[in-house]
Amino acid sequence: MELIELYIQEVTRRLPEKNRADIALELQSTIEDMLPEDYTEQDVKTVLLKLGDPVTLASGYRDRPMHLIGPRYYDVYISLLKMILPIAAVISLIALVGDNPFRDTGNTVMEAILKIIGKGISGIISTGIQVFFWLTLSFAILERLDTSKDQSPVTKDLKPWTPENLKDIPNISKKKAVPMIEVFASLLGLSVFAALYFNAANLLGVYEKRNGSLIFVTPSFNQDVLNSYWLLVSCVIIIGVLLAIYKLFLGRWTLKLAFFHAIYQLLYTLAFIIIISNPDLLNPEFLAYQRTLFSIDEWKSSIYWGLILISIIFAAYDTYQGFRKAKIR
Amino acid sequence: MSTLLNSLTTELRRGTLTLAVLSQLKTPQYGYSLVQRLEKSGITIDQSTLYPLLRRLEKQELVTSSWDTSESRPRKYYSLSDYGGEIFTQLKEEWEKTSQELYILLKGEGEDGAD
Repeated sequence: MELIELYIQEVTRRLPEKNRADIALELQSTIEDMLPEDYTEQDVKTVLLKLGDPVTLASGYRDRPMHLIGPRYYDVYISLLKMILPIAAVISLIALVGDNPFRDTGNTVMEAILKIIGKGISGIISTGIQVFFWLTLSFAILERLDTSKDQSPVTKDLKPWTPENLKDIPNISKKKAVPMIEVFASLLGLSVFAALYFNAANLLGVYEKRNGSLIFVTPSFNQDVLNSYWLLVSCVIIIGVLLAIYKLFLGRWTLKLAFFHAIYQLLYTLAFIIIISNPDLLNPEFLAYQRTLFSIDEWKSSIYWGLILISIIFAAYDTYQGFRKAKIR
Repeated sequence: MSTLLNSLTTELRRGTLTLAVLSQLKTPQYGYSLVQRLEKSGITIDQSTLYPLLRRLEKQELVTSSWDTSESRPRKYYSLSDYGGEIFTQLKEEWEKTSQELYILLKGEGEDGAD
């Protein structure tokens, strides 16, 4: 009967080549055993219904699992994914910091910022997809290579659980924790800052609306002066990146972190003061342009001291917050 | 409700299937004859479970198989190996112990309910 052959074929095509003939022959004789003499098509259907879905039958014969990642590896897979995804995202953001300052960043400040944020997000997403794919693939292969009969779940070091594993669990209260988003935001912020700083002559300045489009009239800063501080600024950026990585790995505020954080605040406030104290920082054309709008000269020193005061207040507040969180138990 | 009961019953019986199958293989049996013998004792076994189970037992060297081609249609006969016999004896003892313990446990539960 044709139905029987189709059924057997449906089962055996899902099986390894070497078992096919033997299982097909056995199924054939079993089905014939179950059928009465002079059977009808209806009899065949009844018998095949008893044997059930060919997919289920075939999976019974096969040793390989019918799932991608089973209970044995699922938990360790998920926790590895949670651990690796943020790290990969951070690495892709760091790559962005290193990459963007010398690239074409668009025509206006907004364009440049949006472009960098866009690049950052698409970088995170594509890295995330890569990590997800390779990790899933590795676990799916591991699942299929594992021939041990033991089905109990494994822990992060791929060994069965013991009470010793409890010691590895970090006990972090919400108030002390460094949110992942804070690390991402500071990395993204650093890359935006780097791009703006090293392309200030093209991006930061006076824009005027003419004929419905923004025209860049004159840059605010003297790029040569900005560039002369490249070593200082690079130091600030690199230390900022390192601090963000350190935060990511700690995951919570400690006194040591608060201390490094304080040093960093001090460093970049000093850098800020040094740079804005340079008398040639602002572009003469920009100053001239401002003079046409209001008398900048009489405000100059109060703006200067105001900026210094604000930056010191922010740095002090940030430092205080770091120590406050570190002290929470 | 009844589907839950069904799945619990299936789960309860699953572990005993190996024991039931091994017990019938002291004399060589082919697939369908085994089904009939089991059904005669009131044990219904999903056929899509039984045939793969026989293969697995063979792979675990608990049973041996041979094709008999002398009759009208070829049949694959399975029978207990020496190793399979040993395992079967131990498994049987394990089962008897378990069922005894469970019997006492369930009886005790019945008496508690009567109080």
